[in-house]
Formats: sequence, structure tokens, C-alpha cells
Amino acid sequence: MAELSRTEEVPRYAELMIEGLKEAEVSIVTALPESLLKSLYRLLATDPDIRYVLVANEGEMPGIAAGAYLGGKKAVMIMENSGLRQALEPIARFALSHRVPLVMLMPYRGDFGERTWWGHSHAQTMEPILNALSIPYRVVRRLDEIKPAIRKVVTHADSSQYPAAVIFADECLETPRYAKD
Amino acid sequence: MRRIDGVRILGELLTPEDLVINRVGPLSDDWWNHRPQAADMAFAPVILGSITSTALGLALALPHRRVAAFDTDGSILMNTGILVTLGNERPPNLTVFVFDNEVYESIGSPRTHTAGHTDLAAMAEGAGCLNCVTVHDEEAFAGYAGSMLDDGEMGFLVAKIEPGHDHWPWEQRKETDGVEDKYRFMRHVEQLEKTTVHDLRFW
Repeated sequence: MAELSRTEEVPRYAELMIEGLKEAEVSIVTALPESLLKSLYRLLATDPDIRYVLVANEGEMPGIAAGAYLGGKKAVMIMENSGLRQALEPIARFALSHRVPLVMLMPYRGDFGERTWWGHSHAQTMEPILNALSIPYRVVRRLDEIKPAIRKVVTHADSSQYPAAVIFADECLETPRYAKD
Repeated sequence: MRRIDGVRILGELLTPEDLVINRVGPLSDDWWNHRPQAADMAFAPVILGSITSTALGLALALPHRRVAAFDTDGSILMNTGILVTLGNERPPNLTVFVFDNEVYESIGSPRTHTAGHTDLAAMAEGAGCLNCVTVHDEEAFAGYAGSMLDDGEMGFLVAKIEPGHDHWPWEQRKETDGVEDKYRFMRHVEQLEKTTVHDLRFW
């Protein structure tokens, strides 16, 4: 486990995601950090076993993940679900024109009970986009589902030669300080 | 210089032990005819803006192997953000070749921004990339391409090429689609690396 400063607590969801990625033999992760999985990005940036590729725009990630896959490595892209819109064109082309598998992990911004006014559009477009491309996905809400979901999405994408996604919600997200439930 | 001259030179410098991420279209037909030993060492995503990012992922996955990207001005301009990621990763085994004809040739040649004030090598350098050079002739291209492929550092070589290209005769054009290209490339990587990228065998 990566070292963090003493004042920073590591949420359980982030530990489980790191463990899940390693158990699924993922060795390359490309991501654009956001707030709902922020401890995960902190761990990834210093983990000695995972090559973490920070990008500036989600549109870079499908290429990086596809190239890594074709090089024989298990690779994952992580982004906020609004990033799906930004990355959509290369995702669609890798999927439809080449049948290259892409493993996508996203937090569910805009899930039922969303508190921000701007987060709802993320949810309004996420599932329709995934469905439009026939990309299989599961919404994972409990901590004990994290590791099996990561293992399965990696297997599913490879065997189908097509993208697949896991959407993390509820217990599997950073707890906002203002959350009351 | 012409695009075909650059591709011919790269066909002489690269070997089937190297891997190429290529731009689909006439550049793919050029490579199809100049690739060493007709090896399936290139994959051409039909995705403007994702050529260099795919090569970056490949280079990070196989750090012991030379990887070349054959990109274009129109493609780089579509996703210039990749330059800053490239400039921070600086994979020593990756050389990016940008064929810059300053026009969107396949759609009737309206000009790209590199015909104006935009300098891709200067942008790459500002983004943190190493060995960023622009060349205008074959001799300089061959010299820099040879050294960049072998120097153990990343390279970013912009080749200013003349607009206009000859189409290959029908029988000499690349005859595979994007899915077959992927499988051929995957199997080539498996042979080189003595590994399995994707196992199709029935459980």
C-alpha cells in the first residue's frame, strides 16, 4: 500500500479498488482525477505495482488503454462519468471499428439523491450513452462488490473484445463532508 | 519532401521487431507497400486524434521495444492534449513522426492550422517532449529518424511534406479492415513477446 501522510486516512473503498486492480492483474491505469474517487487517485499515483498515466483530457485515455492492451497488458481507464462524453468518439471507434476492449471505471455522479445542480446531467447522459453503444455495465454500490466487479469487467471486456464498464456509487465513493445519510 | 519518401525511409529503418501505430488512409497504403518483410507490425486506428495516444500506451506496455507513431497534422491538432501527457511521460522507446502537409487533403485540401501560425514541434517542446525537430527534406528526415529511433529517448519529428499524393493501384492497397488489422497486430505482438494478448480458445 502506498504511503500517505499521517493526517490522510485511506477510505476502505480506495484500498479495495487497488486490491481489486492488482488481483485482476491490471498493470496500467490511465485516469483524469476527480472528487468522488479522489483517494483512489492518490494511491494510484504512488503505487509501485501499477503504471499510472495521468491525462489532461479524457479523450486521451481510450488510445492509451487500447495501446496498452494490444501490448499485452491489462489496462483500465478511470474518469468521472461526464468524461464518458469527452472520450466518446475514440471509445466508439475502438469499439465499433476495431473491437478493441476498453475497461472503464467511473463514479456515479448524478445518482439518485445528487446534491449538486450540475451533476445531474452526468447521470442523464451516462446510461443512455452506454446503452447506445451496447456497452455492458454494472452499478456497484457495496464495498464487498468492488473486487468481484473489477475482476469481472476485466474478463468481460477481454472475452467480448468490446468495452465494458463499472459504475461506482454509494459506499464505493469518497464520503463528502456534507453528506448526511 | 513527399510523404511516400518518409514512409520508404521508415520502412528501411524499422524492422519487424519494432511496432508501429499508423494513421489510416493513404499513409496505411504507403506502409502496406513499404513495411519490412510484409510484417503485421502496424495497427492503424481509424481515429483522428488517437494515433499518438495509442502509441504511448503501447510504448508504456512494452518499454523494451521500439515503438513508432505515424501521425499527421490534422490528427495531432484534433487532440493536442496528448502532447502534455507525452511530455510528462517521455517514454524513451517512443518516436512520434508527424507528417505535416498543412491541409486536410482527403477532403479537398482546406488548410489546417499548421499552415498558419501553429508549430507542432514547438508545441511539443513546450509541453515537455524531448528531441522535437521539424525537417523539410528527405536527408534531414532520414538523419533525425535514424538517431531518434536509436537514442534511447523519446523523439518528436515533424516532417513538412508536400501536399498531394499518388494513389496506389487498387491491387496494391491495404486489403484489411480495422478488426482484421487488430487481430493481425495482436498476433504479431504475441509472436514477438512470446505471450498471449487475447486467448480465443473455447472454455
